[in-house]
Amino acid sequence: MAAGNPILQIDNITLVFGGVTALNGISFDVAEGEICAVIGPNGAGKSSMLNVINGVYVPQEGRVVFKGQDCTRMRPRQIAQLGMARTFQNIGLFQGMTVLENILTGRCMKIRSTWLEQGLNIGRARREEVENRRAVEEVIEFLHLQGIRKTPVGKLPYGLQKRVELARALVAEPTMLLQDEPMTGMNLEEKKDMSCFALEINREYGTTIVLIEHDMSVVMDISDHVVVLDYGAKIGDGTPDEVKNNQDVIDAYLGVTH
Amino acid sequence: MGFDWVFFTELIVGGLMSGVMYSLVAIGFVLIYKSSGIFNFAQGTMLLFAALTFVKLTEGGVNFWVALPVSMGTMVVFGILVERFMMRPLANQSLLSLFMATVGLAILIEGLAQYMWDSAIHGLQLADFLDLALLDPVNMTIFVVDYIEWLDILISKFDVFATIVAGTMILILAVFFQKTRTGMSLRAVSDDHLAAMAVGIPLSRVWALVWAVTGIIALIAGLLWAERVSVSFTLVEAVLKALPVILIGGLTSIPGAIVGGLIIGVGEKLGEIYLGDLIGVQGIETWFSYFIALVFLLFRPSGLFGLKTIERV
Amino acid sequence: MIYRETGTFITSYLEDRKLFPIPFDKWAMAVFMLFMIFVVPFIASDYWLAAHLIPILAYGTAALGLNLLTGMTGQLSLGTAGFMCFGAFFTFNIMLRSPEWMNLPLAMVLAGSVTGVIGIIFGLPSIRIKGFYLLVSTLAAQYFALWFFRSYPYFLNYATATVTLPDHHFDLFGIGETFDVDMASFEAKYLMSLGIVTALALFAKNLMRSATGRNFMAVRDMDIAASVIGIPVIRTKMLAFFVSCFYCGVGGALFCYAYLQVLGIRTFEMNRSFEILFMAIIGGLGSIAGSFYGTVLVYEFPILFSWAGDYLFKGAFDTAVVDNVAKITYGILIIALLIREPGGLAALWATAKQKLRTWPFPH
Ligand SMILES: Nc1ncnc2c1ncn2[C@@H]1O[C@H](COP(=O)(O)OP(=O)(O)O)[C@@H](O)[C@H]1O
Ligand SMILES: [Mg+2]
Repeated sequence: MAAGNPILQIDNITLVFGGVTALNGISFDVAEGEICAVIGPNGAGKSSMLNVINGVYVPQEGRVVFKGQDCTRMRPRQIAQLGMARTFQNIGLFQGMTVLENILTGRCMKIRSTWLEQGLNIGRARREEVENRRAVEEVIEFLHLQGIRKTPVGKLPYGLQKRVELARALVAEPTMLLQDEPMTGMNLEEKKDMSCFALEINREYGTTIVLIEHDMSVVMDISDHVVVLDYGAKIGDGTPDEVKNNQDVIDAYLGVTH
Repeated sequence: MGFDWVFFTELIVGGLMSGVMYSLVAIGFVLIYKSSGIFNFAQGTMLLFAALTFVKLTEGGVNFWVALPVSMGTMVVFGILVERFMMRPLANQSLLSLFMATVGLAILIEGLAQYMWDSAIHGLQLADFLDLALLDPVNMTIFVVDYIEWLDILISKFDVFATIVAGTMILILAVFFQKTRTGMSLRAVSDDHLAAMAVGIPLSRVWALVWAVTGIIALIAGLLWAERVSVSFTLVEAVLKALPVILIGGLTSIPGAIVGGLIIGVGEKLGEIYLGDLIGVQGIETWFSYFIALVFLLFRPSGLFGLKTIERV
Repeated sequence: MIYRETGTFITSYLEDRKLFPIPFDKWAMAVFMLFMIFVVPFIASDYWLAAHLIPILAYGTAALGLNLLTGMTGQLSLGTAGFMCFGAFFTFNIMLRSPEWMNLPLAMVLAGSVTGVIGIIFGLPSIRIKGFYLLVSTLAAQYFALWFFRSYPYFLNYATATVTLPDHHFDLFGIGETFDVDMASFEAKYLMSLGIVTALALFAKNLMRSATGRNFMAVRDMDIAASVIGIPVIRTKMLAFFVSCFYCGVGGALFCYAYLQVLGIRTFEMNRSFEILFMAIIGGLGSIAGSFYGTVLVYEFPILFSWAGDYLFKGAFDTAVVDNVAKITYGILIIALLIREPGGLAALWATAKQKLRTWPFPH
């Protein structure tokens, strides 16, 4: 999809844990409507980057600007309200709940009825339940999760859990979707499905996607923009072709010692 | 002028001494928390069980020096049984399940202790025992004279004795778990169960060891505490008093348990006397230590020495 | 055409969300409730009402309250009896110090709300403190409650130890006088308790299958993920404390008014908190019906056990022995249950039902 204005600006982010510098002065932009892949070896700081973007970690330095608003110090919930959704590297589903309940939690920001109305099961609360269910059913259909609505998520295979997590992120109708290694540990078939979903989400709803992925063929196929991290530093940033031919990136991936 | 320094010092010393006693109980909690990530609810009843075993043996005429190792042996067997029949079958379940199992264990032990022995309240005059055991019978005066005087400060001799015993126990344990191989493997287990098993540390052996050691701690702590609160169900509640201690120190830290014990011991005494006066009500010591702990936790959510971690996702 | 389709969608989603999706369950529940309301008061003796049914209803309310907090929201609490204490004392004081028109159910709701607010105060540390560390806050609530009512005898109307709750507190809108029925009889107390408990259980059930309930469980299962998808984690925890303590408060009031008939501090010692924790655990954390199964088992177990002991051994053992054997059995039962089925009785029941459904041809 053609790149628009920057919807997300990462400006000179530094994040330190005790002695470890997870991110060191990282800056890059994500354009509206693009699919941006963040790649890099294990421990490069990719997940930390996503965590900074949606407010789970607060960086020591730098700014994150989303839709023109400085959200560096916002709480995850506030950022979610701006239209950001996300999936986790190690599955962030609610293990004690069914698939349907998990996906319904994704609609939590659309709820207007109070807990009293919900407890009494009257008026607005009932209506919302049906409305949200309809939105959830749409996503269930889109991601082919029909058969497992009432299954506890803990009982599902890994690949399906990842898909349920994507569904939970999607029902929030986000303008930007962060995906942390959505295809790791999947077989070829599942990977293909997942990349198709990403492309479809991007095309059909115009959702900007930032995803972390190790499989280079997938990255080259679906992304418009690639950012490469290594040891907390940015060593590449550009179109897939540019990055592929970047000497630093080639070194990092071939394991040249620094 | 108005401030009574002697009294104040007496309070501080008394507070420090009961703090050491808290620390001893707290270490029992910490060991189990470190090795399996749970708060051992049965700690209090273990104290009761151990103390009762000892009391009944001596009441039955068994010599002090025989009763002590026999009670210890009982607690070790107990630890091994707990590992085999409770911890191992529950190894892969949630922490909440494990915690609840210790709740079940607490009821089981309470019933068992009272079934095997009885549920009457026993006074345990450990001081008398010690006089009989340690001194020639002609001259049994060391512990029977209750107080020593030092710079005008009155200190209960038994408290001094208890402090020394508890302090020594704590030191031994600290050295054991910081310096020996077994201690190291405990620390490895507490950091990461799976990783520890992967490098060949036998989880069940560590657990059995920890429960056995905790049993011995329970015995010593039970005997020392029993002098103050009698051997009965109150012992169980007294142990809940150790909860703020470990929370202040951090559930994972042995030094934390020691410092936490001292803070609570002193804080409680000072609060009882001075704060009680200030706000004009009595008896606040029942909840005051929890409030001290809460204040600490608000500033340091994982305790003074607990591992500060930022959760990863 | 499209309109039609949406129409069916709505009914099918509502259908899917029904309390009793299986008609048999619905009818069984209806029959059970009718039996409890119209038959039990006439056939049950005072002993059965006073020593079994009423205490189970009172305990069950508190166990349900604890379950909402610990089972649903994952916030461990050892302060249940403390919150019950607040509820009971506030109810008494509202009844004592209000004009004529005040009645017991309303007083319980008011007292429950105040208890809920107190619950929020003791729940505030849960914003920063997690897991077992939170025990300290709920224990503080427990001991604070006991200390508070001991220190301020005003709340016990300056009585020593206990006050007997006056009969006229039980009157509802003058029904007693008008129709000349004894509103303080066990039958009346039982029906009042049953009404309150049914309403509270239904409310809890509705709450749990709505957005609020899902938020509770999300916070329990993974609070970081919850905040990332936009769930207000702090507000959710505070709400859980409020609702839970409301239930516990009402449970405490029922405990004194309907069951014990007297109000005193000693009723709410630490032991009571443990007892109710066992009820919630054994019944099944996270299950509303489970709270009541657990209550029945925990409450009846020692009674049954000592009855069986008497019956089998004709008093060959004294009660203390039977008591202790009961405790041992009970402890083993808890551990065994956790090893076999951590979901408690509720999960056992669900599995059994599943088996029954396919019986006699599994698969
Ligand atoms: N919560 C945390 N606490 C301590 N260190 C962390 C935390 N999160 C990440 N790190 C450290 O930051 C570095 C980058 O980690 P991460 O962002 O997970 O890498 P990636 O996702 O690229 O594999 C690693 O060295 C990791 O140990
Ligand atoms: Mg990662």
